[in-house]
Amino acid sequence: MSLHAIQTEIMAMEKKRRLYSMAGIVLVAAVLISGYGMANDLNSGGFLTGMKQFFDYPAEIVKEAWATGFSFFPLMGRFVPALVETLNIAGAASIVGGALAVVLAFLGSANLGVKPPVVVTIVRRIMDIMRAFPELIIALFLIFILGSSPVPAMIAVAIHTAGALGKLFSEVNENADADPVEGLASCGATWLQRMRYGVLPQVLPNYLSYFMLRFEINVRASAILGFVGAGGIGMELRRTIGWGKGAGDETAALFVLLILSIFVIDQLSSFIRRRLVTGRDSE
Amino acid sequence: MKITDLTKTFGKITAVDAVSFSIDQPQMIGVIGPSGAGKSTLLRMINRLTDATRGSIRINDRDILQLSGREKRRWQRDCAMIFQQFNLVPRLNVVTNVLMGRLNGHSTLKSLFCIFGRHLVDEALAALDRLGIADQALQRAETLSGGQQQRVAIARALMQQPKMVLADEPIASLDPLSAEKVMTALREIRDRDNLTVLCNLHTLDTARTYCDRVIGMLQGCIVFDDVPSKLTPSVVRDIYGAEQELNESMTSTSISGPVFTPEPLRIRKAALA
Amino acid sequence: MTSSTLAIQPPEPITGSTAVFFRVRRESLMIMAGTGLTVLYLLYTFISFDLWHLISRSQPQRAVMLATDAVAHKVHVTKNIRGAGGLSIAVEGERTATYETPPGWVTVSDDMSRVDLGRGYQVDIYDTHVVFQIPDIGPVHVRITDAGIETTLPRGVDPPDWLRATPAKFDARPTIGRRVQVSKARIEVHRYFMGWENFFFPFRSELAGYSPGQLFSLAFSDHRLDPDMANWRLMATTFWNNPGWQHKQVFVALLETFLMAVLGTITAALVGLPLAVLAAANFTPAQALRFAVRRLFDFLRGIDMLIWSLIFIRAFGLGPLTGALAIAFTDTGSLGKLFSEALEGVNRKQMEGVHATGANRLQFYRFGVIPQIIPVFVSQTLYYLEANVRSATIIGALGAGGIGLMLVEAMNTQRHWENVFYLILLTISLVMVMDTVSGKLRSRLIHGRSGT
Repeated sequence: MSLHAIQTEIMAMEKKRRLYSMAGIVLVAAVLISGYGMANDLNSGGFLTGMKQFFDYPAEIVKEAWATGFSFFPLMGRFVPALVETLNIAGAASIVGGALAVVLAFLGSANLGVKPPVVVTIVRRIMDIMRAFPELIIALFLIFILGSSPVPAMIAVAIHTAGALGKLFSEVNENADADPVEGLASCGATWLQRMRYGVLPQVLPNYLSYFMLRFEINVRASAILGFVGAGGIGMELRRTIGWGKGAGDETAALFVLLILSIFVIDQLSSFIRRRLVTGRDSE
Repeated sequence: MKITDLTKTFGKITAVDAVSFSIDQPQMIGVIGPSGAGKSTLLRMINRLTDATRGSIRINDRDILQLSGREKRRWQRDCAMIFQQFNLVPRLNVVTNVLMGRLNGHSTLKSLFCIFGRHLVDEALAALDRLGIADQALQRAETLSGGQQQRVAIARALMQQPKMVLADEPIASLDPLSAEKVMTALREIRDRDNLTVLCNLHTLDTARTYCDRVIGMLQGCIVFDDVPSKLTPSVVRDIYGAEQELNESMTSTSISGPVFTPEPLRIRKAALA
Repeated sequence: MTSSTLAIQPPEPITGSTAVFFRVRRESLMIMAGTGLTVLYLLYTFISFDLWHLISRSQPQRAVMLATDAVAHKVHVTKNIRGAGGLSIAVEGERTATYETPPGWVTVSDDMSRVDLGRGYQVDIYDTHVVFQIPDIGPVHVRITDAGIETTLPRGVDPPDWLRATPAKFDARPTIGRRVQVSKARIEVHRYFMGWENFFFPFRSELAGYSPGQLFSLAFSDHRLDPDMANWRLMATTFWNNPGWQHKQVFVALLETFLMAVLGTITAALVGLPLAVLAAANFTPAQALRFAVRRLFDFLRGIDMLIWSLIFIRAFGLGPLTGALAIAFTDTGSLGKLFSEALEGVNRKQMEGVHATGANRLQFYRFGVIPQIIPVFVSQTLYYLEANVRSATIIGALGAGGIGLMLVEAMNTQRHWENVFYLILLTISLVMVMDTVSGKLRSRLIHGRSGT
């Protein structure tokens, strides 16, 4: 190909690329404008009236909380058991779901010699389905059967966690070095032993990092599911908000508690994850 | 041990082509040949890491190739294997890596919780001591130099209490000084423990120095099988191909000679694929 | 090499094998302690959740009921004892779905009615007397007297466990699809049929009785059922306005949920990107500004979607705008943080190269920065979009509307399980379609970039 031909081709490609970018930008803009227009029409309160009222509610609960003075702190203390329940839902769901995810991830990794190979495909589909199910639906369904309790939320979050973490874990597994596994196979180790010593030590730091991230997400999810009847801080929030005016101080206390705990968990998890990652790099 | 008609084909490519030989008494055997000659595949088939297409490996009227499950793993423990890339678990400490040699027969529950008895730990330390690296027992394997890691791998092999030892290019990734230590250790297994050591080598002079017997392979076939002293320049030319103007020093890792560039890893991997 | 690693991690002086053994033992003890603590924690949570009590209180029959109702529908044959004594036959007992003329399996004569439940099950209804014919058992007589309900089983038959007979009520369900209930007020027979009833057209519609073949030919027929519109339009409108299945409302709800997710995510990405530039150390030298923007991200993320939703629901009421804004606020924080981290990781050389050509500030971003950040930007945005479809259903359930709220309301009425099942199927399909599309787009964009 002559230099000229190459140049023309590059120019054509560049032109095409620019066209695609422009089309993408126009599309996004169109979606945004028409979408917000449509959303505004469908909404019961419009954007402009909403904007005017936006600070009303926060202002109202802040005012009520302010009025309680120092008794605000005991009020917060009263909701600590609810917070603990939400954290327990998230904790138990993360552990149960995480343990299930480890099993699924090992069975769903193509490079670990799972036999027969069709198991890998089946397990992957199972993980996809577990991930696709919105937690809300499982929680509502289980609340209907089991009654209002933290357990439905725990199970719902655990199922989603198993699917989501399982996929991430299996991706980590598939990047693991095969040499140690081969070395253990040559000693006559069983499949379980090869996984335990050949793969697990390699992938564990990444597993923990993803696990911490998931735990943080699960705390948020557990709080929300409480709102549909799963107990914990979400349920308390629904109660105080349902009362309308007058319970603003309690709502404010719950808000502060939730924000504080999420902030602490967020900082803790990113600290641990940073340490896990840098700890590995320095070696 | 008697190997008969052992063959491995990958698709249309025949990696090992109807290989037959027998080992009647403990000896140190070097397998030489150009890369892609099927040396690695041969060793991997003996250890059962790779399944053979055809043939048999008989020991006392038992065909190794027919074993499966528990019996196959027991055989893998009996025939320890050492790899070019050491194949240790990098994040575990040295003594645990050596203990891995006894995973076969270790109960699942004990394995899961990493429980090893006092006598096993002592045995692992003795093996490390024999190879002169007992001081590093608690270091992570990945912090060790290549030569040290290969000696950990040999200690792991000893831990297996093997009946024979296979070594797949054990010194190809090492500097000459480490290579000498590793080869001496292997030779010592032959002399002191009276075991057969089957060792793939890419250097002729190593084979000459350490081995009792040399098997030369070319394109999957055995083209030479005799004592090292019979390795005449013409035989060598047959094995490594005539077009390559062969100079012995080119394939040497002796400390005085120029450093040999190891056979590229990708070829070995390709042979396994 | 050896000496340098030794400097980092000096070998422990080994005095003897005992030291090594204790280290190996300590490791296994730590693994066991970790496992033990985890198990203990789980035990504690299960006790605090009152799991045993919960299992004993659970109502597994509700799951069976839900599963049955989800895939089948039942027709009620009801006879009121007090008041008008006539027999009414209605799908799910709804007044709007009452048969004018009895279907083939019900025969009505002057003094009695016969309900054929198939496979030898048959119910004869007299004035205050019911005979339930059951294969292998025989006739079960139930009489309504002033004293209460009198049940007479055939001689020598023990009452089976699916039959409950008290003076107040008789309730027999020999199979999952057949049920007879008698109380002092009324006699009720249920027969189940597979499938969803009146999914396409309401019971009262003249289109309800047609087969698919008939409908197809009818659609192109000139003979108008309704003189005002063509048959195909009649079909479409009747389907669209079906009061039982509410296809129109369901579609609008799905659209609302979809809008919440798409608008929320795109807004968050577009607002998050410029803010991310202000938070990235290599683009914004002003430390105070950087600090402020980063705390803003933390604030938006920390408030959490739950609280944002509640605030927005208060201010904006029910609707997709509310959900979109709640998502946008939370994810501006999340995406902004991710983007700023990506910006801090961009390759300096490429930027300097563009700088050296004398590019102005806009060109500098366009050619030096954007090409590097685009893959992260697009893939993370799509990834959040997937997650936000799920979030949008939950925010909806909190009160923002859309399919989530519809689902909660349908479940709370505890009646039309086939509707609930239908909504669940639609929600999962929406989530899965979004997952697939965004997964395809992501791999396409990323591979397309690395290819050119």
